Amino acid sequence: MKDRFLAVLKTYKGPLVLVGIFLVAVLISPRTTRGEIIFLGLGNLTDMLRAITPIAIMSLSMTFVILTAGIDLSVGSMLALSGVVTGTLLVEWDPGLLPSVQIGTAIISAIVACGLVGMLNGVLIATLGIQPFIVTLAAMIGVRGLALWFSNNERIGLGVGSDVAGSFGDMFSGKWLMIGTFLVLATVFAVVLRRTVFGRYVRAVGDNALASRYAGLPLRRVQIAVYTMSGLLAGIAGVLLCARTTTGDPNAGITSELDAIAVVVIGGTSLAGGKGSIIGTINGALIIGILTNILGLRNVDFNMQLMLKALIIIVAVALQRKKVSN
Amino acid sequence: MGVFLKADGINKSFGGVQALKNVSFALEPGEVHALIGENGAGKSTLGKIIAGVLRPDSGQIVLDGHETSIQRPTDAQKLGISIIFQELDLFPNLTVAENIAIGNLKLEKSPFVSFRQLALHCRPFLDQVGLDCTADTVLKELSIGQMQLVAIARSLSMDARVIVMDEATSSLTEDAVGNLFDVIGQLKGKGVSIVYVSHKMDEIFRIADRITVLRDGSYIGTRPSREADADELIQMMVGRELSGKGRAEGHATTSRILEIADLSTDRLEEVSFTLHRGEVLGIAGLVGSGRSEIGAALFGLDKISGGTISLKNSPYSPSSPRDAVRKGIGLLPEDRKLMGLIAQMSVKQNMSLASLDGCSSGGWVEEAQESSKYLAAAKQTRLKTAGPDVEVTSLSGGNQQKVLVGRWLMVSPDVYFLDDPTRGVDVGAKEDIYAIIEELAAAGKGILFVSSELPELLRCCDRIMVMHNGRMTGIMDAMSATQEGIMSLAMAMEGAAE
Repeated sequence: MKDRFLAVLKTYKGPLVLVGIFLVAVLISPRTTRGEIIFLGLGNLTDMLRAITPIAIMSLSMTFVILTAGIDLSVGSMLALSGVVTGTLLVEWDPGLLPSVQIGTAIISAIVACGLVGMLNGVLIATLGIQPFIVTLAAMIGVRGLALWFSNNERIGLGVGSDVAGSFGDMFSGKWLMIGTFLVLATVFAVVLRRTVFGRYVRAVGDNALASRYAGLPLRRVQIAVYTMSGLLAGIAGVLLCARTTTGDPNAGITSELDAIAVVVIGGTSLAGGKGSIIGTINGALIIGILTNILGLRNVDFNMQLMLKALIIIVAVALQRKKVSN
Repeated sequence: MGVFLKADGINKSFGGVQALKNVSFALEPGEVHALIGENGAGKSTLGKIIAGVLRPDSGQIVLDGHETSIQRPTDAQKLGISIIFQELDLFPNLTVAENIAIGNLKLEKSPFVSFRQLALHCRPFLDQVGLDCTADTVLKELSIGQMQLVAIARSLSMDARVIVMDEATSSLTEDAVGNLFDVIGQLKGKGVSIVYVSHKMDEIFRIADRITVLRDGSYIGTRPSREADADELIQMMVGRELSGKGRAEGHATTSRILEIADLSTDRLEEVSFTLHRGEVLGIAGLVGSGRSEIGAALFGLDKISGGTISLKNSPYSPSSPRDAVRKGIGLLPEDRKLMGLIAQMSVKQNMSLASLDGCSSGGWVEEAQESSKYLAAAKQTRLKTAGPDVEVTSLSGGNQQKVLVGRWLMVSPDVYFLDDPTRGVDVGAKEDIYAIIEELAAAGKGILFVSSELPELLRCCDRIMVMHNGRMTGIMDAMSATQEGIMSLAMAMEGAAE
């Protein structure tokens, strides 16, 4: 009985950390005057999910990138680029189109721009053989510059109201739209990883690139594809963040690439490549989301929050590591 | 002269494979003692045990009449034993002086380094090996021959009395070899003993005082090199059990499937041969002789610099392994772990990896199709596994190899290049692999079969070609070939193969 319990514990360490954090959150959550646990309120839980959505979306494609033993440091800058492209096309562009057409054009332009940046990352990594860390570090710096240049160093406020920009903000900041977008993308990514040839290749390439080459796999195409996907999802995250904050902010998402990596790592994906899952990443996103939420509810100092997050990253990864054997 | 270093009853196994069986070896002062044997005979293992790089499972190393307890290389270093590896374990971005000093117990007495003192200290050792460069030259600016000398200078600076050289000349030019041998001659004069691990017969006769032959991990014999002759040594290396009867009948047809003419790459020179449908063509030769390199050229891994290949009667020049697979070539790589297995994937996923295009529609893996093809390949290879979904690393070496063989069975290419498919594989799995090769031949495939084990080449192949130094030195019918004849060609000895 005890053995079985331990075996279950070993298999589901990631979700156990999540359940643990959830229970702690319930316990330490402040209560309303009527004694209700604020953390468990539907409004709070959905707030929590919406807050983590941009990072969580980027962490889906980051999981693929890390599975190939790569890394993408440029997603934070692409998030900002997406926001300023969206904002500019909504506020400063007056094509005289139907509002819905203009909104669609803005969104698609932002996502495509980021997708192209991601594709460029992938092409440089796959064809020049430069390490992903270096290529995407350069992109992180360069794309931030591009976003600042594009927006003249200014935040583009969408404003509120019934004009094009205002209605975009209303439409795309809804809780259920944001959470729903994440759920749809998460399902797609999970299915692609588990059920498609491409998903197999992603794992194989990350686990043993040389063996993958000897098996005749399309290494370059796999790399280009995962970085392109990373760009596209950073673009989507940027559009949603822009709507949510009603701002196209060229300084948005600084260090959010590191948050996305943290989510993936907490989810049990190995930075060495080949091992990991989308379910794990969702789990990691929820852990970070709940943690941020409950610390906010308890009014814990932001600096203290960072220190606690650091602790959670180490604990979660330490619990999930394979037993080191001699 | 008395015995200076003695290895007594050394046993060593890796996993289930016994690399050394009760081997004894004696070294006299000021002697160059060659250790020779085929690939996998255990000569490098013995050299590493003497130098403390590996620890024996049982047995003794006796130095100057005292039993030693060498646990690690630094223990050996203190006793004056050092080793120079085939792939030099030097630091390319450090200077010559730093390379000599690093990890050197005689020099690392305080945590601080005076570069001037270091240079002064290194000078005499550099002079001893005849290296005329300054001590602050960065290592990577030197030639490989010069680096070799730095490694020797490093050994000397540790007061080495015994230097183990493991395939020391494998990447040296002819001039550098001559230079190295001069240095070895001088060291001998000073009473330094050299254990010279090699498989190059001509060098051994030039340099060694005595020659010890190992075969399959066992000690076979020691001969003074003045009295030894090459034929006798080769007999000792390959053994007497001349079971090399060719196959009763093959499946070779006259229909050409692969024709290679004057193929050259960086590592091959003008290799030509023809492979027929149903034929098993063996490729013999020592490691680095060009046998794997033929596969690298065929599989789009090495750039082809000259010659032509024709596959199924049309010109063939692969741009990548993917291209090669598409055009009908499959390659089973020599290093299972490094080049073959996806460690974190299941048995089934490893097997289907190269043929997913054939078990999918529109990019979706058709699991039913994948499973049925997997089952067929698993059956054909007689794979023993707890199930299709267990991790591939849980299998034995032989079964892991069967997974990789199965990977290509699922692809079903026209030409199979099998690079040492039975290396590190147990006897039962070997038989199964031979049976698969036979079945493939019967099905009209062309098979190139690289092996270090001559008996299996003689048994499985229709013809055997021999490689040496990137060139083909002979091709013969397996029926009339002998192990001695093949070995002579592999070592490129004059007038050997009759």
